[in-house]
Amino acid sequence: MSQELDPRIHRALDGELDRAALTPDERALVERLDAAARALSGVPAVPGFAQRVMGIIRRPLRSPVERFRQWLTARHPVTVSLRPVYSVIIAVLLVALLWRGPGSGPLPLLGEHEGVAQFVARFPEAHSVAVVGAFNDWRPEATPLSDDDHDGVWDARVILPAGSHEYMFVVDGERWVSDPMAGRYVDDGFGRQNAVMEVRPVRSE
Amino acid sequence: MTAGEGSDAEVIARVLSGDAEAFGELITRYEGGLLRFATRMLGSRDAAADAVAEGLVRAYRHLASCRDPAHFRTWVFRIVANRCKSHLARRPVGDVSLDDAPPVAAPENAEAAFERNDQLERLERALAMLAPEKREAFVLKHLDGMSYEEMSAVTGERIPTLKMRVHRAREALLAALKES
Repeated sequence: MSQELDPRIHRALDGELDRAALTPDERALVERLDAAARALSGVPAVPGFAQRVMGIIRRPLRSPVERFRQWLTARHPVTVSLRPVYSVIIAVLLVALLWRGPGSGPLPLLGEHEGVAQFVARFPEAHSVAVVGAFNDWRPEATPLSDDDHDGVWDARVILPAGSHEYMFVVDGERWVSDPMAGRYVDDGFGRQNAVMEVRPVRSE
Repeated sequence: MTAGEGSDAEVIARVLSGDAEAFGELITRYEGGLLRFATRMLGSRDAAADAVAEGLVRAYRHLASCRDPAHFRTWVFRIVANRCKSHLARRPVGDVSLDDAPPVAAPENAEAAFERNDQLERLERALAMLAPEKREAFVLKHLDGMSYEEMSAVTGERIPTLKMRVHRAREALLAALKES
């Protein structure tokens, strides 16, 4: 804990009082502080400092546009201090915002020659519905449709290459059914008709 | 300051008339004092070199706004003092590093040097523990030898406020020395 010094000592150190007017003890304190200041004054030089600064000065100034571009692309440290309670609230809000249920989440990024095919069918009594086509090697387990609100309407969105795709629905894993709402059909060579869907590339939409 | 190639005002006039290299003369005149000030303010020679370099470049770019070239010294100290405050503000509270090792002792006077180094470390620590505004006042007064009027021009504070800060800093440093 520091002790308050006699004002005479401060006045002597400030050059407002002749040091000869101080008592020997007071003078010793003044000399001690002088010595402390001298010790702290000894800071080593930085070699080549002036050249370093002149090097920066000689560089041509970047235009405001260039500086803005660099600001945009440079890394900037960002420090956020939060009370834990707010961290929890923000985490809950983020989860709520990002969670939109299975099947309705954001689709992966589309390629230039790809589009989104939406398969919708109404099968009120079905326990499961899947779509099959050449795009999934006609495997019923590959692309299931979902009916989240149990209203009998099943749907799925699938990214497919742009163009025509033949498909069928598989109900309850065994019944192959043509899409009654399809705009076009082709014979499958086995006495049934495959529905045809035209997928357009997203870029042209 | 009039050492070297003319007064500060004359050198500044040369820089402003297009002789950018003349600014090197001003750097040479003040780099020692500015680096000492910044090193004691920030407790790190590297951080101090950055702060002083930033301050000098800023001074060069805004040299035309130095209204009183005869008082360039206090003007450039104010710029560097502000850079130091920015550096301190970016650090966690109370973090003043002391990364500058005291000078290595010669073998023949190692014992006395060790005692001096020990005392210097204690002083550096006590200085670093001071509030930045008290540290600033003490360094300007006792290490850079400024008058209270000059300190007021650098810090923008009133003289009685600066005196009070210097007094408190002196007392804290003496207390640190007494503990040795």
